[in-house]
Formats: sequence, C-alpha cells, structure tokens
Amino acid sequence: MRAVTWTGINQLSVEDVPEPQLLNDHDVILKVTRTTTCGSDLHLLSGYIPFMRAGDVIGHEFMGEVVEVGKGVRDRRVGDRVVVASFVSCGACWYCHHELYSLCDNSNPNPGITEGLWGQAIGGCLGYSHAVGGYAGSHAEYMRVPFADVGSFVVPDGVPDDRALFASDAASTAFTGVDLAGVQPGDTVAVWGAGAVGQMAARLSSIVGAERVFVVDRFPERLAQARTHAGAETIDYTTTDVAAELREHTGGRGPDVCIEAVGMEAHSPGPQGAYDAVKQQLRLQTDRPSAVREAIMACRKGGSVFTLGVFAAMVDKFPLGAVMNKGLTLRGAQVHGPRYIPRLLELMDRGELVTEHLATHVLPLEEAPRGYELFKEKADGCVRAVFTPHG
Amino acid sequence: MANSLLSRAADAGGALLGRLQSVRLPGVGTASAKDDPATAARRWRAVTVLADPGRLTELPAPLAALGDRVETRVIPAPGDKGTELAARYRGPATDEDIGRLRQALREAKQLVEVGEVLRMDPRPHGERAQTPGGRLLDGAVAASRREGVL
Ligand SMILES: NC(=O)c1ccc[n+]([C@@H]2O[C@H](COP(=O)([O-])OP(=O)(O)OC[C@H]3O[C@@H](n4cnc5c(N)ncnc54)[C@H](O)[C@@H]3O)[C@@H](O)[C@H]2O)c1
Ligand SMILES: [Zn+2]
Ligand SMILES: [Zn+2]
Repeated sequence: MRAVTWTGINQLSVEDVPEPQLLNDHDVILKVTRTTTCGSDLHLLSGYIPFMRAGDVIGHEFMGEVVEVGKGVRDRRVGDRVVVASFVSCGACWYCHHELYSLCDNSNPNPGITEGLWGQAIGGCLGYSHAVGGYAGSHAEYMRVPFADVGSFVVPDGVPDDRALFASDAASTAFTGVDLAGVQPGDTVAVWGAGAVGQMAARLSSIVGAERVFVVDRFPERLAQARTHAGAETIDYTTTDVAAELREHTGGRGPDVCIEAVGMEAHSPGPQGAYDAVKQQLRLQTDRPSAVREAIMACRKGGSVFTLGVFAAMVDKFPLGAVMNKGLTLRGAQVHGPRYIPRLLELMDRGELVTEHLATHVLPLEEAPRGYELFKEKADGCVRAVFTPHG
Repeated sequence: MANSLLSRAADAGGALLGRLQSVRLPGVGTASAKDDPATAARRWRAVTVLADPGRLTELPAPLAALGDRVETRVIPAPGDKGTELAARYRGPATDEDIGRLRQALREAKQLVEVGEVLRMDPRPHGERAQTPGGRLLDGAVAASRREGVL
C-alpha cells in the first residue's frame, strides 16, 4: 500500500510499504478515508522529537472504515465508520479508569525513553515517533488500531467526514484543555494560537459558557476564522502588546483562563525570539516557550494557565515567580481523546460544533509532501491539509 | 557499509539509552538517576496493577520465568490503586538481569490488566536506510523495554 514516511529532517516521501496486520486480539484494521496534518507533526518534521527512524509512517488525526476485527474486539464491526483517538489507551489501567487516557500505562511499548526524560512514561501515540511507541501512522491506505473498543468511535450518519475527522485530535485536544483548565460560565478565556487546536479551544470555551473569548495569532486568515466560526475577539501579537490589550478588555484583571495552543516552536518578534531560537539551536534549551511566558504574565491572579502546545523537555527564562506569587494553576496534558470524542460527536451532530473550514486543502495522499509544505509555511491560507488515501 | 559497524552502532544505541538514565545534571534526568550498582541490584522494583491481590497469588508467566533468582512481594496499594507487585534479585545482578526484570514486571502488569502483551512487529514502514545514526536509534528502541526508571 502507499504511505507517507518520514525520511529525514524536513523530508517526507510517499512510498510502497507492507500492509498492516492484526497483531493483538483488541486490534482492528482500518481503511483510512481521511487523515490530516497536525501542528505536532511539525515538531517531528523539524527534528525536535529525535526518536524518528527513516521510513516511519506518520499521521495521527484520522478516520476510516473498519475492514478487519481482532477476536477480542467487542463493539466494532466490519463496515463501521469510525473516528479514532490519536493516543492509544488500554481502557484497563488506573489512568484509563480515571479518564486520563493519554497517560495509559500499557500502550507505550518503549517506556524506557520517556521514563528517562520525564520520570514516568506516558501512553503511546499513533504515528508519532518511537518515544511514544513507534506505531505506524495514519497517512496510509490502511492502519492498525490497537485497543479499538477504547479508541475508536462510530460516527453518526449526519456528521460529514470533514467534521468528524477533527474529533480525532484537534477538537478533543482543545476539549481536554478547556475542561481541565476549568473554564466556567461567565469566564473570560484567552487562547494563544489560531491553528485548529486553538480555534477549537476558543469555540469549546464558549460552548461551555465562557462569556468572552480572545484568540492571539499573527495570521489574518486564521484570526478571521476564529472570529467567524468561534465568535472570538482576536489579537495580532505582532502589532500590539498582548497583555496590555487583554488588561484593557478585562477591566484590568486579565483573563480567568489562558490556554496555550502554540507549542515548542513558538514564534516571537524581537530580542526574546532571537534569544530562544539561538538557545534552542545550541540545545541549551529544547523548547521555545514564548506564548506560555506571555500567558502566565497576562493571566489574572488566581487564574489558570493550560499548555496544550507540545513541549519536549527544558525551557529557559520561565516566570515561575509569577506562577507562585499570583497563585496560578499551571497544567498541561496530551489529549485524553476517549473522554471527549463522544461528546464532540454529539455537538457535531447537533451542528453546534462545525469544523469543515479547518480542512482548507483536501489532497490525494500522493501530494502529502506538498500538503505539509503548505501547512508548515501556513501558505495559501492552509490551516489543515487533509489527505484522502482512497480518493 | 560493514555489518559489524552497523551492529556496533545498534549496541551503542542501547548503551546510550542506559547511560542517559544515569545522567545527574541538575534538573536534567535526575528522575532517572540510577543507584550505585550494588544498591540497584538489591532494590525492589515495582509496578502497580489495577486488580485485587488475589489475581496475583499465582505469579504471571514473565515473572515466574525468572525462577528462584528473584523474590516477589504482593501488597494492596493505597486507595483505589489496586495491588503493588514488586520483585528483586536475591543475589548479585547485572544490568542485563535488571533489564530483564523490568521487562518481566511490565509484561506481568499488562497480562493481568489487559490479558495480552502489545505486539508491534511486523509493522508497515518504508525504506530504512542502514546508517549508523539509524542503527543507533534501533538499538535505543530495542533497549527501551528493558530500560527506564523501574
Ligand atoms: N496536547 C495535545 O495532545 C496536542 C494535540 C494536538 C496538537 N497539539 C499541539 O498544539 C499546538 C498547536 O497545534 P495546531 O495543530 O493548531 O498547530 P498550527 O501550527 O496549525 O498552529 C499554531 C499557531 O500558533 C501560532 N503562533 C506561533 N507563535 C505564536 C505566539 N508567540 N503567540 C500566538 N500564536 C503563535 C502560529 O501562527 C499558528 O497559527 C502544537 O504545539 C501541537 O503540537 C497538542
Ligand atoms: Zn496532533
Ligand atoms: Zn490504560
């Protein structure tokens, strides 16, 4: 079958690879109908997650049709149209029982790597390096989905593919942040990053009752989407002082909840950006955290800051004093997909959550390298490039 | 490229992952610092299994396979966390022995909690260039089931 593989830093190729097989009783094989780029892939592509092997199939945000079912699978049938959580969860460990699905104890077969990095291993993620399992990814015609009863969800007939697809990762990530950051009715929420994750965080914040939502980015077309589809007010961080702007709009308090959806390659104008970029290149810090710093400084006293953006290891010049003295709650997480996907599909079915506009570029699998180029450069208004392996 | 060079690279990858676990720079990798070899060999290594202690009266096969060289301890975990399954070597143990014990504990937990151990191969992948860098990573990945803070 055809699949998109990582072949080196900033290099992708589309090649023939063997088809996946059922390996465990809880597996299904999926015919992938839609699979898309995620901001997290950019960190892989640029080499900031160094546990990639040439030839690895990437991709983790996807949906498809079940074509083969392992003998331990209870709830999935051949022919089911499903959307699948990007992280793999066993459904049986203490973390899965507490709906902390991306922390699953049994889904990362290579725990030695992240235990060394972070003190504990997290769960496995599909198509996202050997540090989180080395699973083959979804940018392929077929795909093995382990623990399918836990991680795959039948899509209601009324929900079109380009909507359901984003329940897999972008929207469920956003819901993880909105929920665990504790967004309450009446809150003011600020979201850094107007990619698919940030836009979904803004929309879901208002769905759970936030009164005002701000989205910070620099790309006009993304900010326009945040206004149109999430009803957010927007701030271009290249033209104004974000914290001052937020204070002005919040009676001097600052937002109750700040959600960061930018990640370890944050862009920042001026000397701070140059400092971070040089230190990251020299590997004196692994991650560039400018949006997190800004969120911490902008947040109201006693408020909550949530990092949805992916960070790998160490950051520098981190305002811990502000976190401590302002009494902030700082929290982060990888996506707990199965906790939120059923509710997302309901919201999508009722038309309350619309995501089709994120699929700005729908391309055949063979054009994935070009899709990633557009997505990486944010060229031609690209928000998500979606690939259709079967046309 | 000479095969011996590639296989040395893979061995080095495994060893590198092992060494990374012992880095003691302030703030970097301290969570994974290893004890001195004698203490490490004697330390109880434990996983918490979400199951009643009764499910562990008979040792899961991967641990049983280590035989009399290891002693085991099964106690209820606090709160709702299940059962703590711990094991250690009765006598001297090499790094390789300890690696085998880590893997056995992880597999024992999986068998009790989900009924099977995850299988990963064969998996689809494209052309793998046989470079020393790639083999270094292969070695680190192969070692990662036996490495870690457990
Ligand atoms: N926690 C999870 O499970 C999870 C899941 C999916 C994605 N992510 C992470 O979320 C982040 C966003 O993902 P995405 O797919 O939306 O990515 P994306 O690349 O499409 O969007 C990122 C946006 O951040 C903006 N940005 C860059 N620097 C900024 C700054 N200083 N201030 C404000 N905005 C800035 C960019 O202009 C861009 O629009 C990534 O780090 C990704 O890895 C995390
Ligand atoms: Zn993702
Ligand atoms: Zn689990």
